[in-house]
Amino acid sequence: MREGSWWAALGSLKLTLAIFVLFTMMVAGVYLGNTAAGWILAIPFGLFAVNLLAAVSTNPAFRRQGGLLVFHLALLALVVLLAVSRLTYLRGQLEITEGEWFDGTLTGYEVGPLHPWHLDAVRFRQLPFTIEYHPGRERGRTLSRVAWIDGEGRRHEGVIGDHHPLVIAGYRFYTTHNKGFAPLFRWQPADGAPAQMGSVHLPSYPAHEYRQALEWTIPGTHHRVWTLLEMDEVVLDERRPSRFRPPRDYRLVVRVNGQRHELRPGETVALPDGRLAFVGLRSWMGYSVFYDWTIPWLLAACAVAVLAMGWHFWRKCAARPWRADDND
Amino acid sequence: MEREIQLLWLAVVLYVLAGSLAIFAVILGKKPERTIQGLLWSGLLVHGIAIVHRWVRLDHGPYVTMHEILSSGVFGLLFIYALAYWRYRPIRPTAAVVLPLMFIMAGWMVLTDPKDAYVPPTYDTTWLVIHILFGKVFLGGVFVALGMAGVVLLRRTRFGQARFAGLPSDRRLDDLAYRFMMLAFVFETLMLIAGAIWAQDAWGRYWAWDPLETWSFITWLVLGFALHLRVTLRPSPVRGAWLIVTVFVLGFLTFYGVPFISKVPHQGAV
Repeated sequence: MREGSWWAALGSLKLTLAIFVLFTMMVAGVYLGNTAAGWILAIPFGLFAVNLLAAVSTNPAFRRQGGLLVFHLALLALVVLLAVSRLTYLRGQLEITEGEWFDGTLTGYEVGPLHPWHLDAVRFRQLPFTIEYHPGRERGRTLSRVAWIDGEGRRHEGVIGDHHPLVIAGYRFYTTHNKGFAPLFRWQPADGAPAQMGSVHLPSYPAHEYRQALEWTIPGTHHRVWTLLEMDEVVLDERRPSRFRPPRDYRLVVRVNGQRHELRPGETVALPDGRLAFVGLRSWMGYSVFYDWTIPWLLAACAVAVLAMGWHFWRKCAARPWRADDND
Repeated sequence: MEREIQLLWLAVVLYVLAGSLAIFAVILGKKPERTIQGLLWSGLLVHGIAIVHRWVRLDHGPYVTMHEILSSGVFGLLFIYALAYWRYRPIRPTAAVVLPLMFIMAGWMVLTDPKDAYVPPTYDTTWLVIHILFGKVFLGGVFVALGMAGVVLLRRTRFGQARFAGLPSDRRLDDLAYRFMMLAFVFETLMLIAGAIWAQDAWGRYWAWDPLETWSFITWLVLGFALHLRVTLRPSPVRGAWLIVTVFVLGFLTFYGVPFISKVPHQGAV
């Protein structure tokens, strides 16, 4: 087979049909098999790209019909951009206690192999946030106040939430339904070392309303601390509109070294190698973070594709009325 | 809410009258097209008032509960069909094929709970309205094509051959039907793009292969396949008609079936 003929064969419209069928079967298979789509679907995407490229370069129909050509080139650009997106993206989750700064630590993430990792340059602080609830505990608006430092070191403050992410250095931070309460502790080692402050993120509220307990370890020690928040008031009332907030009437139960303690803000537990003080109750907010520099380019490719497709169809239909040669 | 339900019932009665008249007209060989068109537009007017009434009362569009989605779905499909009915006189008898489908959908709608619901915070965006409008035009386009495909397929029977003899030839119907499929393809693409913009804002990702996204994409692929097949292999009008039926079934199940199986926030109905 000559070089030109195998390339033309790769651009065959019949092959396009076969790829359509393969693509549909693979998408359905991934869905029904409940498997991760990413790399499996790279096969039909790749085949489509090769077929498109070969078709555009060998099929004279594309040179006669500008709209068709632009549409297919935009599709090709879309496939390339999607591949780049999968190589460089990041999607993760994080939790921040009210009053604390984000230090670049994610609780979980998935990332493309070529992700540039600029997350350490991102600095923002969680300020007080509000989540409205309708009767029946239907979640309403989330208004999360944050402060951040931009690339030139300037401080900014604003409200994000729902459809308004915080965008720093290409990373997009979105509020989520995930939030809860965070007892704040101070650990003062007995050997005179500097005291350490830290918060414990209790399970998400109200999703885990009846499981507000967590076991954790005091940093630098072997002390396991079991912490339980008991609320003596209704925070989110089923019957009337309410707002997520830390409870005012509560007891913090701490069990350490087999001893049970009920702590109020400012109270401490004496341990052989230091003192654990309960500073107060805060709340924590869960965020999802997304990085994908291709987003505006993907949107542009989609816009060009759909405009070109519309233009092509319009010209095709306008060129000949639908009953033009009907002799019925 | 009582007024809305009364208006909705009145609209359903007008639709059923239009559909029944369309069926009798085909069976008896009559042409009461102006009456059918009048009933159809009257039903749409009354239905539209019911939708606006609810929208104003609840301060959100008809896209949250299954009742609202079915209501706007019936309205959208019939609005697009009524435009085609008015514009393309030769295909008016296709009303006898498609309007009975609306009896089923409208019946389902009146059986669903018309309860009030709060709009989830992720639904509070103009992009959702745009996404839904594009979706309605997409399925409306396929719905009009379905009418013509139904005639082509019914003509394979002796009954259909006699009753639909006055319509243009299968080849012409196929040509017009696929123009509507092209329109549907453009609007399904727009629906997917607007949906991706909404999803990026609402959940921080433009695509996640959730059930609605997956089935919408499968419908897009099958529609793309149908359009490509028509250019490449020039199938007979009967095969083309079966492809239209397939796309409509896929689109319909995506819009009104997936909400029953999806457990993710993007599930079509709350």
